[in-house]
Amino acid sequence: MKNRIEELRNRKGLRQEELGRELGVSRQTISSLENGRYNPSILLAHRVAVFFGMTIEEVFIFEEEPSCITTTKN
Amino acid sequence: MYYNNKKLILSIFWLVLGIALMALSIAEVLDSAMYSGMGGALAAVGFLQIIRNLKYRSDSSYREKIDTEAGDERNRFLRMKSWAWAGYIVILVEGIGVVAAMIAGQHTIQKVLSYSVCLILIVYWCSYLVLKRKY
Repeated sequence: MKNRIEELRNRKGLRQEELGRELGVSRQTISSLENGRYNPSILLAHRVAVFFGMTIEEVFIFEEEPSCITTTKN
Repeated sequence: MYYNNKKLILSIFWLVLGIALMALSIAEVLDSAMYSGMGGALAAVGFLQIIRNLKYRSDSSYREKIDTEAGDERNRFLRMKSWAWAGYIVILVEGIGVVAAMIAGQHTIQKVLSYSVCLILIVYWCSYLVLKRKY
């Protein structure tokens, strides 16, 4: 899942370590989140969104997998 | 709080048990070198844990680092994933071992490994059923 954590962190002038401390996670977790290697739990996603004063949808870009897309017939 | 008094008492217990095992082995009360090795390992683990526990209490930056690592959800995820991988790999290796033992005519080893694979699968299914009820 793509996200805007790196952009938002840079905007606040924070280092990964500092953001990690604010969110109660390690620097490596922040790095993995930014690179999209690790998808956070809903609790961490909520904490990240609250920290940046945004909604989860504004921070995390949810892309539906093709198999999940349902089509409606008219 | 990751390191607490309970963990300190447990570490002291491992250290004392390790030293006791080594002493009994040296005094030839226990007549196997295995006990000496086991005692040494236990004493070393206990000692290291006591050092960590004391550092945790006195060093605030170390305490913060340990607490973050312990509560970090990615770390927890990685630990769970590692256990799952370990389980898969053990079953795979034992499965290969069963076939190899059968070819080599080592029927006792083949039987032990087969039982072990069965036991792991039974434990897996029991865990699955328990977790299915819980979640």
